[in-house]
Amino acid sequence: MERFIADLIGKFETGTISRRDFCEGVALAAIVYAAGGAEANAAPPSGLKMLGVNHISYACPDYRKARDFYSSVLGMEKLKDDGKGRVNLAFGPAPGKGGSFIVARNAAANAPAPARAVVDHVCYTISNWNDARVNAALKAQGQNPTGRSGSVNVYDPFNVQVQLASAEAENPFI
Amino acid sequence: MQGFAATKLNEFEQGKISRRTLIETLTLAVTAMCAANANAAQVAAPRGVKAALVNHVSYTCPDFKQAGDWYSKVFNLDQVGLKETEVTLPFGKKGEQPYNVTAKDVPLTFIICRTRDVNAPPANGAAPRPRPTALINHIGYTVADFDRNRVRDQLKAMGVANLRDGGEYSLHMTDPFGYDVQISGLANNALTDV
Repeated sequence: MERFIADLIGKFETGTISRRDFCEGVALAAIVYAAGGAEANAAPPSGLKMLGVNHISYACPDYRKARDFYSSVLGMEKLKDDGKGRVNLAFGPAPGKGGSFIVARNAAANAPAPARAVVDHVCYTISNWNDARVNAALKAQGQNPTGRSGSVNVYDPFNVQVQLASAEAENPFI
Repeated sequence: MQGFAATKLNEFEQGKISRRTLIETLTLAVTAMCAANANAAQVAAPRGVKAALVNHVSYTCPDFKQAGDWYSKVFNLDQVGLKETEVTLPFGKKGEQPYNVTAKDVPLTFIICRTRDVNAPPANGAAPRPRPTALINHIGYTVADFDRNRVRDQLKAMGVANLRDGGEYSLHMTDPFGYDVQISGLANNALTDV
């Protein structure tokens, strides 16, 4: 770490990186440092070890509407908003420590041909689930949740289904 | 951390602290912050609704068994809960905790590979789902100890199609149904992905 920071200072002094780059570099170093020591971040002898969903790439007509929905309704943190057409919406563990994010962006004019498969919805786990509290919180945000105990669905501003669930209602081993 | 780094950099530029002190101070701050974060992460109870983690990704395709086998092979995932039209692939074994999640009521993330008509009206008479005008055009997955060259070689050996680099930290590939799949390590995250 000390070597890394010394190099960063050297780059700043020679003008290779800006003041902003320097400060972001130090912050990033903290994240990478934290992630690097975890035992779970070790690959098995062969093949890959899945840690989780890194990100969900979401293309839509107006990224700001998606940004506002996912940050206000699901409490995601807005990061790297370029103000033009893209933002990262972080949730879960800290970035670099297993956290996930939605990349909400304006759809490209020349989008590739659609696949023969689709991710038709993503379900998010809500910790400390309480039916009444979840439904009330969603309604307070202008949503119309439907579903069952432990699992509700809403639609985002572009009619993409968003499911919210408890560990009991949506668990691969139950 | 960025503000602290900026303050210390100012002090260095104004000659208030030495280069050596700047290095030591920032090194100490970075390592101390990591230790504090490890203890504080996820302690705060969410108020209202706050996404804790992806619970599952619902993936619909023409042949769920073929998709399930592909994701199992590429990501070393077991298959559980085989049904007539779907199979579930959890990101770990029963009893394991999701990576870096301490809350006990957050299950392992999983993929459900399905074959169904997503636009069919629900059997219970409810309104059909509205037509979406946005698209989840790919999912990125985090794997442990990601080394792009090593992982590329492994995927090539498996016969994975359309392998290509993605930015500094990741690889893209195409699954059997043409769906874009990204793979990276922890270095690709909400602060680094632009």
